[in-house]
Parts: sequence; C-alpha cells; structure tokens
Amino acid sequence: MVSPARTSGALACFGRGLRLSLSKPYLAVSLWLIQLLLASVLILPVSNSLHDLLDDSPSASRMVANPDLGWWETLLRTHPDLLGNFPDLLTGLLTPEGVTSSKLSGLRGIGGAAVSLGLLAIVLHAFALGGIFGTLREPHGSLVTFGREGMRRFPAFLAFTLAALAAALLAYRWVWLETGLALNERMRELQSERQALAITLARLLLLAFVLSAIKLVADSVRAIWVARPDLPPVSRFFAGIAGALSRPIRLFGVLLSAIVTTLTLYAIWIVADPSAGGEARFALVPLILTQQVFVFLRSLIKVGYYAGISEALTRTPSPEYSYVAAPPSAAPVAAPSADDEPALENPAGAV
Amino acid sequence: MGSAKARTLLLALAGAFAAPAVPLQAAPLAAPVASYEISCRLDPEKKTVEGTELLTWTNTTSRPAPTLQFHLYLNAFLNTRTTFRRESGGMSRGVPIPDSWGSVEVLRMTFADGTDLLPAMVFLSPDDGNPDDRTVAEVTLPRPVAPGETARVSLDFRSRLPRVFRRTGWKGDFFMVAQWFPKIGVLQETGWNCHQFHANSEFFSDFGDYDVSIDVPSRYRGKVGATGKRVEERQGAGDRVLYRFRQESVHDFAWTADPDYVVVKDFFREAGLADVELLLYVQPEHASQAGRHFRAVKAALSRMGRVLGPYPYPTLTMVDPPWGASGAGGMEYPTLITCGTHVIAPATAQKPEEVTIHEFGHQFFYGMIASNEFEEPYLDEGFNSYMTDRVLRATYGPDHPVVSVFGYRIALGIDRLYPVDVERRYFEVSTLDVHAQPSWKFRDVKTYGADTYSHTALALATLENLLGTNLMDRALRLYADRWRFRHPTLNDFIRCVNEVSGREWTWFFDRTFRSSGNVDYAVEKATSTPAKPPKGLFEQDGKLVEGPPPALARVRGYDSMALVTRRGETALPVDVLLRFEGGKTYRSSWNGEARWKRFRISGGPRLLEAIVDPDEKLALDEDHTNNGKRVVPDPRAASRWTARSVFWMQNFLDTLTVAW
Repeated sequence: MVSPARTSGALACFGRGLRLSLSKPYLAVSLWLIQLLLASVLILPVSNSLHDLLDDSPSASRMVANPDLGWWETLLRTHPDLLGNFPDLLTGLLTPEGVTSSKLSGLRGIGGAAVSLGLLAIVLHAFALGGIFGTLREPHGSLVTFGREGMRRFPAFLAFTLAALAAALLAYRWVWLETGLALNERMRELQSERQALAITLARLLLLAFVLSAIKLVADSVRAIWVARPDLPPVSRFFAGIAGALSRPIRLFGVLLSAIVTTLTLYAIWIVADPSAGGEARFALVPLILTQQVFVFLRSLIKVGYYAGISEALTRTPSPEYSYVAAPPSAAPVAAPSADDEPALENPAGAV
Repeated sequence: MGSAKARTLLLALAGAFAAPAVPLQAAPLAAPVASYEISCRLDPEKKTVEGTELLTWTNTTSRPAPTLQFHLYLNAFLNTRTTFRRESGGMSRGVPIPDSWGSVEVLRMTFADGTDLLPAMVFLSPDDGNPDDRTVAEVTLPRPVAPGETARVSLDFRSRLPRVFRRTGWKGDFFMVAQWFPKIGVLQETGWNCHQFHANSEFFSDFGDYDVSIDVPSRYRGKVGATGKRVEERQGAGDRVLYRFRQESVHDFAWTADPDYVVVKDFFREAGLADVELLLYVQPEHASQAGRHFRAVKAALSRMGRVLGPYPYPTLTMVDPPWGASGAGGMEYPTLITCGTHVIAPATAQKPEEVTIHEFGHQFFYGMIASNEFEEPYLDEGFNSYMTDRVLRATYGPDHPVVSVFGYRIALGIDRLYPVDVERRYFEVSTLDVHAQPSWKFRDVKTYGADTYSHTALALATLENLLGTNLMDRALRLYADRWRFRHPTLNDFIRCVNEVSGREWTWFFDRTFRSSGNVDYAVEKATSTPAKPPKGLFEQDGKLVEGPPPALARVRGYDSMALVTRRGETALPVDVLLRFEGGKTYRSSWNGEARWKRFRISGGPRLLEAIVDPDEKLALDEDHTNNGKRVVPDPRAASRWTARSVFWMQNFLDTLTVAW
C-alpha cells in the first residue's frame, strides 16, 4: 500500500512509522499496559515503605513538593535493605570502573525487585515485538492480532532478544570495561585532561555505536523474520542481517530520529515539570494521569520506531535516471507499479 | 654528573647565595627553633634533587640533647616493605600506587665542630618497630646540646622523587618537591617527637627561617613556585636558572616547577587584615578558572582572618597540578597550597573553591597553629573542615540549584551539599573507631578520614550550636591568638572554650572526641486523645462512691504523650518541642542522659507533633529522619513519591526494553 511519491529517507521512514503507530494505537496501549502492570508490582512495597517512613514524620509536609535530599540520603544509609546498591549500579554504569556482575549481589529489597522486573520486562518485550511487527504487516489488525502474532513469534523473538542482550553485555564489557582497565594507567600519563576526556568520549561513542548496531541488527532480523515468511528460518535470519548491512545509514537515521523525538519529549517534561505543582491530595490524580500520558506517548514513539525500521527495510529508493524524463504526453502512460523492492514486499494479508 | 662534582657545585652555589639576608617581616613572628639554608639542584631527567643543607637548631627544652633525630620522609617510598607501603595496602587516594620509588640519602653530615656524624647514624622505628622503615634517623652528637644552646649541622643529601602519587614527586616535566630534605624532629621535654611516615599521617615540626636556593634548567624560567617570597632570580651556569626563596617563621618548605604553568597574580587587601600577594600556578587548560581560585582564597583570607586573626605572610602561592598528578593536589605547605580542579567543573559543584578554601585554612590549622598532625590529626584536618564549611556557606550560600528530573529534584552542587557530604563519610562508620586518636592507629583510611575530618567538623558544628556562634568565635580566636606559632593540643582548645564560656565543657570533648560513641535521638511515639473523666471508686464525704467528684469529672481538651529515646551511645543535652493545635508549643530541655524520657500534657490542646532537637543543633545526630513524630499522619508526601517512583520505574523499564 505504498504510493510512488513516498521517499525512503530515514526521516520519511520514521514519519511513516509514526503515522502507522498512530493508526494502530492499540499497539502503544499494549506496550503501555505491559509496563504499567510490571511497574505496579512495586507500588505496594514502595508505597508501604514510604508511608511507613514518611507519614508520621514532621518532614512529610515539606516533602510533598521538596525532595529534601538530606532526608533521602539518610534514608538510604539507615535503611540499606530498601534498595541496596541499586542507585550505585545505575549511576556507576559509565564510571571508569563500570558495573560488573559481582555488584549485583549488593541489590536488596525494592532495588532487587526492580532489576528482576527489568529482566521480566525484557522477556515480555520479546512477545510484544512479535505482536507489533506482525500486526504492522496486517492491514486490519487488532489486539487479537497483536496477541496471536506475539505468541506465534515469541520463541524466535525471545532468542533474538537474548542474543542481542548477550551481545550488548559483551560489548559493554569489551568496549567499555576492558578498554577502561587497559587505558587506565596510560590515561594518567597523558599530557592533558582534555586528551583523556577525548579518549573517554571516543570510548563512549564507540560503545553507543556498537550497542546501536546490535540493536539495529536485532530489529532488522525481527522485521525480515515477519516480512519474509516465504524463506526458511535460517535464510530469514541472514536476510535480516543482510538487510541491516545493506541499509545502515537509513536504519541509524531511523534510530536517531526516534531518540531525538524521545529526548524532545523528555525535554518538554522537564521544562513543564508537571511533578512540581499541587500539594493538595487531589493533585495526585492529574499528576498520575499526566505521567501515564507521557509513558503512552513514549510507547507511541517506540511503536513508530519499529514501524519505521520495517518501512526502511521493505522500501527502496526511487531509481535515479541518467537522462531527463520527457514531459508527460497527453496520452495516459502506465505509472510504475511501485518503487519498492518486490522481493522484500510481503503480500498484504499473508501470514 | 658525579656526586663529588655536584657537591662542589652546590657548595659554590650556596656560597654565591650567602649574601646578607634582609628580613621579610619587620619582626620575626616566631622565635626560630629549626632554621634551614638549603641550596639544591633539580635534575629533571634523573628525577633527583641534590642539595646542601645548613641546619641551625636550638634546644628549647630544659634537658641536654645528646642525639638528634631526623625525618627522612622520602624513604617512605623506598620499597614495598616500608611502613607507608604496608599501611597503605598499595593504594593512595583510591588509586593503585605505581612501582616508582623514592628515597633521600644523607651523603654527609657534620657537626659544627667538624665531627662527622654519619658513621653514627641509625634508623629508628618508634611507632611500629618495622626494621625495614628508614623514615626516621638518629645521630649521636660528640657532645650534648645544652638547654638553650644553638647547634649547627651541615649535610649533603640526594633526593630521588617518585612518580607523584602521594603529595610529592613528578609527572613528565612537572615537579612537586615536598618532604624532600632531611628535617629535624621536635624535641620535647619527654624526648624526641619524630614519628615515621605513615599512610594516613601528616607532619609536625618546629618553626624557623628558610632560605632556599633552587637551580633548575632554564626551561623552567618563571615557572618555579615555592614557600615564601622569591628574592632572587638569575642566570646559572650553562642552560640553568637560579631562584632563591626566603620565608621566616614557618615549619616547612615545598616548591614546584612545571614549564607548562600559567602564572597569574592577584592581590588581597582588606581593612583590618594584612595585604597578601596571591600567585596562582595554573595548568593552561584550567587557566579560565583562575578567577574562581582567587575569589575562593580571598573569601577564606577574609572570613578566616576575621575569626582567627590575619594571615601574616606577604605571599600565598596556589598550585594547580597537571592531569595525572592529582596525588600532589589538595595539600598544604606554609604559604603554598596545592589545589585541584577539572576541565569540566560546574560552578555549582564548587570543586576548585572547596579545595582552595580548605587548603588555605591549613595556613591556620597546621601552618600557624601548629598542632601535632601525627598524634592529633583532627586538630588540623577536622578544625579546618569545620572552618571550610563555614566559609563555603557564608560565601556561596547553603542553597544549591536543583533540576527536576521525573519529579526528582536533583541538586547540582551535590558534592558539597551540607551536611550530606559530611554525613556520608562519617555516619557509615560512626562507631568503628575512637574519634580522636593518633593518625596511624585508625582501623583503616576510611575511619581515619571519617573521624578526623567529618566527625570533628560535625562535633564543632554541634559545639557552635550549643555555645552560640559568638562564643564559638571568641573561643576560636583565643585559641588562635594564644597558640599562634606554637604547638597546641586538644586540651588547650578545651581550656579556651571553658575560659570564654565560663563553664566546664570538658565533658563534651570526652563524649564526642575521646569516645567511639554515636549520637542519635528519636521520637518513638506521640499520641493525643480526648481527655476522659476518671472511673472507679472515689472518696466523697468520707465514703467511697463510684464515679469521680464533680471537680474531677469536668475534663477538657486532650491527654498527650511523647516518648523520646536516646538510641545512640553518646548522651548530649537536647531540646524537645511539642507543637499543639492553635499554634501553641511546649519546649523542654532534656539532659539526654537516660535512655528515654516521656512527656505528658493533660487537658491541653491536641498535640500535632513532637520533635527532638527541633533546631538541629546536634549536627552529630546520625539519623535526623527519626527526630519527629506526627500524631495525625500526613500521607501526601508518601503518595506523591510513590507515584513518582512508579513513573520512574516505567521509564526505567521502557528504556531497558527498547535497548534490545
């Protein structure tokens, strides 16, 4: 269903992906619901702990709007069982020492539960991706399609997810941790701090590039896995990798577009700061609603990204000609059938 | 160059510099006990400093001195068997110590009468008996130095500097030359006070006059900074340049050289305080932060000067070590301090400001008020941390800009968010060690740092809150005036507090400094229920009848109760505040001795909340979150933060899942 006028640039692909995402909002709703359900596991432990610690405290009134950093600092020190080293793990990811698996033993309470939920979320996301890619190929999808496609592709997509996760962890280890250790002493011998910063920035960019490449290859494999049911599994897998390798710029462009759009959303949130206002009890309702709208918008962008990737892999640019086309004659001329790559286009409705 | 030739050259240099000295101050600030004339030569390729030293030392005790003891600090870096290396566990400031060795060799030592003292030199280990430690040496004199007599000792030495990791050393062409020459210990009535170089301890020495000539390659021209004032610069033999620095009434001498330095000058002048020439030797990549260094040090000169008395020296040199030489940063020497900053140093984080103010503060606590850093490290580091914080808050304000991220307002200046940064270090280890003890006797570097710096600062902040700022300032001023250019102890400060306040405060120091106890007061329970008339049998008209007499039956208001407990081991006086409906309050002082105290109010208005230490006077209280109880819970904050936490969790999951 692609009109010949469509371009196949990264931004255009992402734009079409966003439109697809908006046309099938139940996909974003599904993602949002999955995350809300997972996060809601923590509502009771977090709520009970905070009410236990705060409700009777004279600090409670002033902490409705003001975080009182000293209070939180003291809380984490006096109640190490609450989070364990969860904050240190998050903030330590990009320190020179990084985070190694041995540090996971320091997780406690809500912090440990958060990491476990993260792992569960990754598994569920594999299911959701099967549903999203499958439904995006359907002209008339629904939540039923989402569930069916998700379940149908879950084993393969979980394998892709775990493989991508393992590759990313290896990349973190080799690109960030090991280079950090190897360069640690040499960095101190550099002439200036600017040189050391430049090397650190280069390592960071390399890590971001490798992680992005891993993600794009995984997403490409998923997209082709759904788009080419006519091929045997092994061929689909390699066709997915070939798809990523043949359109790297376009895929990176789609990813970059999604990242920029998401960051813009965060920037708007930070500037508007809807968390700050209203100390009255009823102010909690609009706050929660605003927060959930924000998460839903993020889900829309996320679905838009996956649709954009699918678009980028299944469209080809308009052919370039070495001559100037003649002006259109009065007689009707048959329009080119499509500017797609027919071999990659899955017939509509094919499952 | 052979050592004999080098010695000849150095002696020639010493002669060349032996011009009559002109005092820098109108009158000496302190009677000189140990004065040094040193001529030295830097060999940047060999990383060595060779020199001659003429020590003029006076026996100020009432007993003759048959021996002299010297610190040979650089021998701490001799090998892995020294006391420093054993205690450090191979780490310094969180960084592995490189295999780069340092030493100081005494090549010649002669007494004034020409007696060669070197054959009688032995190494001592008074603190730990480590036979492999060579940081303290003793020589026996041909005859004892009588009380009041002045003796002269001449010696040649060769110092080999390590790759900088602990205050002194080199990195490339950068040199921070500190603890570099044989230095006499302090003779007290009880004998020599000459401790070994430990992983955690610093230094202790007598005041004197220093006249030091430094011979460096000409590429260091204009890039040599040192203790005191530069009084001479001239071309040396060959491609060398000679500098001469002099400073009276100090107890150490350090110098630095780096061809990359950008030298920036400024001047401090304020009514009632002495003028000071400020010199900043800053790395080119930090040159744009020169103004921040000067603003910080001027604030310290002003505010500390007004509390502790004027900084009396004509110069102050600030040194910014290069990248990879942070081990040389954040250190104090008389009239010279080393700072430390980064290319990315947000103004709100106040990184160069804090270290600059702190190291300048040592010009008082260490420099002039020269307590024994080996034995009472809290008297310099802890007192200085307390004053640093006062200057920072007064200059830059207690508030920090915050940014809201997903509802979490994050302070941009979190590094020095008071008292969070202090708490973080001390409260985690608050009961693991006696807070005030010799530096090498702490369990590890963590308790040393927490107790020496943070605990002392919090204890003094507590004392200020209990005494009042005015009395605290008067006590500090008395202490500073009385012990300027002398060697005080904690007892001397306690005497000043007692004198100024007119009360006995020794108990406070016994409980806070000389114990391993922690402080924690809490409100355990707060209730308020409508008052009810009594029930039961009551005597009325000589008979026991059921029901209260009319006077007792008429009850109004609420019966309120607050239970306050002492959870910590240390007892300190503390206030308790009960806040009632209608704005009424009840405040009571409790001596804090018992494990708990119950407050009951009958028939009053409804109690809203009870707070122990409502003014947060006890900065040592390690858990302020338990200091109060509301009678009626307020769930708004917890609900709001729960919503934020769940939202944050959703974002965390979203980011985590989108990655794969």
